[in-house]
Amino acid sequence: MTIVTGKAEARRILQPGKSGLLRKIWEHRADYAYVLPAIAVMLIVIAYPIYYTIELSFFKTPPGLQLRDKTFIGFDNYTTILASRVFWKVTWNTLIWTVGSTFISFVLGFAAALALHRDFIGRGVLRAVLIVPWVISAVAASYIWRWIYHSDFGIIGAVLVGLGLADRPPNFIDSVSTVLPSLIVVNIWREFPFAMIMMMAGLQTVPEQLLSAAKVDGASAWQRFWHVTFPHLRNVSTVTILLLAVANFNSFIIPWIMTGGGPSNASHIWITHIYELAFGRQLWGVASAYSVLLFLILMTLGYFYVRALSGNERKEGSA
Amino acid sequence: MSTIVETAPRGQTRRRMRVDGWRWAGRIFLVFMLLYTALPMIWMLITSIKSGFAAMQFPPQWWPDQPTLASYQKLLDPQNSVGQDFLRFFWNSLFVSTVTTILSVIVAVPAAYAFSRFSFPGRNFLFFSVLLRNMFPAVIFLVPLFILMRVLGLVNTHGSLILTYLTFGLPLAIWLLKGFYDNIPVQLEQAARIDGATRFQAFILIVMPLSTPGIIATAIYSFIGAWNEYIYAYTFLSKNDQLTLPVGIQRFFSENTTDFPGLMAASFMMSVPVVVLFLVLQRYFVRALTEGAVKH
Repeated sequence: MTIVTGKAEARRILQPGKSGLLRKIWEHRADYAYVLPAIAVMLIVIAYPIYYTIELSFFKTPPGLQLRDKTFIGFDNYTTILASRVFWKVTWNTLIWTVGSTFISFVLGFAAALALHRDFIGRGVLRAVLIVPWVISAVAASYIWRWIYHSDFGIIGAVLVGLGLADRPPNFIDSVSTVLPSLIVVNIWREFPFAMIMMMAGLQTVPEQLLSAAKVDGASAWQRFWHVTFPHLRNVSTVTILLLAVANFNSFIIPWIMTGGGPSNASHIWITHIYELAFGRQLWGVASAYSVLLFLILMTLGYFYVRALSGNERKEGSA
Repeated sequence: MSTIVETAPRGQTRRRMRVDGWRWAGRIFLVFMLLYTALPMIWMLITSIKSGFAAMQFPPQWWPDQPTLASYQKLLDPQNSVGQDFLRFFWNSLFVSTVTTILSVIVAVPAAYAFSRFSFPGRNFLFFSVLLRNMFPAVIFLVPLFILMRVLGLVNTHGSLILTYLTFGLPLAIWLLKGFYDNIPVQLEQAARIDGATRFQAFILIVMPLSTPGIIATAIYSFIGAWNEYIYAYTFLSKNDQLTLPVGIQRFFSENTTDFPGLMAASFMMSVPVVVLFLVLQRYFVRALTEGAVKH
């Protein structure tokens, strides 16, 4: 998709056709030097692995990853995946995890950005404190929350018992029904600050005159938000939500450190499952096939991502 | 909460009250978010100054009877083996993150500048392919990168991590910086070039200083990303003396599962450098997002 638009774009700029394109490339040869290091690193660390993953997904590779002994098995890895019950379980978990985390993080972050937009004493400090969870390592966050959720000495359990809401501390992350929501709470804790920063930055671009004009015209706070502020933030919101969705879809550390996917796969999401298939059970072919499927899903998301970003571009161009 | 809502309207006009309703809702919400954000971190700090015995009690001691810094002393003492390991992990993390940050800036700045200023064929395609990197999770690349690092002889070296981490930060760095360069008037450079500067000089002397906030934001982002990275470090490194903090701490505490004060102290110490760095430089970060990425 991007290739097509890229070429079309190039042709539109260059008009005279093929020899013109080559000449144009030659004329701009010095420009490429600026982007070359970035592209080279990307090629080594991204393009090559993508190619390799696709290749491995059609082979059965022995556990020790001896590439010479791999055998071609066609689409077997793919059919294995689609036939397994774990696949559907994990896909469902991933869906809940991604949608739940993204939606709640965005709403909380946006609301916090709005509440912090007006100046008051201590705003800077409050903003800084709210951002901290985003900065600290996910590994540290996982351990902190594992301790908070601890089934014997956890503070939440103790509070619930102290308030008489439970007879004994609940088993948050060792129980099939509560593990996923519990992990989502941790994930949101780490992610809403990102949405908050993005929306704070977005709010600063909303023209103040427009808001005061609306106020003079008698628009209520809600009307001002809905008809002036929000439309201005549509682009930022789209980009933020997409970035959050991708980050959540790709998250690994929190479920991996906190539960390792258990109990009985209840907190396995795609990424942790792929990791376990590859480095745990050494099913390289199946893991690669999973990666390719993941890749296809992400490309679809990526299409919208690029569209949202190039929407930005177009606006900049016309402004 | 309810008392606040009830006292608000007293002695005020109706219009005033309606505005205050939103304001109070905002304040109550912020208090809630503050508790959600801060309480886990406070509990981490309180636990870290307990003794191992005091931490394992039910109901928990809200404030330790005998606060102790023993966990911190253990982690920072180069004499015992725990301290030696922790300090080495710390140093490894610092080294990898710093090198990654420097290289990211060196690679991202010219690329972002080119994407902003030049119109070479394939510019849009290359720009969006760089951005697409953000879409893909580390795990997809793990197996082939592991093979690649084996071929390059980089397994169990910090080089493997630096090379990989470079590509994390790059898309966002290039995107942020491009937004910055888009907003710097071309006329400034043209004026410099009329005065006899080469294109490169105009870039170094005019454009670079103006984009400092963007560069700082980019650097923070790369540093934090590298400091906190876990999966690649977990997969590429197996020698104990090479590990970075997140993996090192995980290795260590999978052997000492009940030392929660020590674990909380280690988590705290691991967070300090990035949190301090971010808090000191955060205004650049928000400014970079405002002026670079988000601007219409």
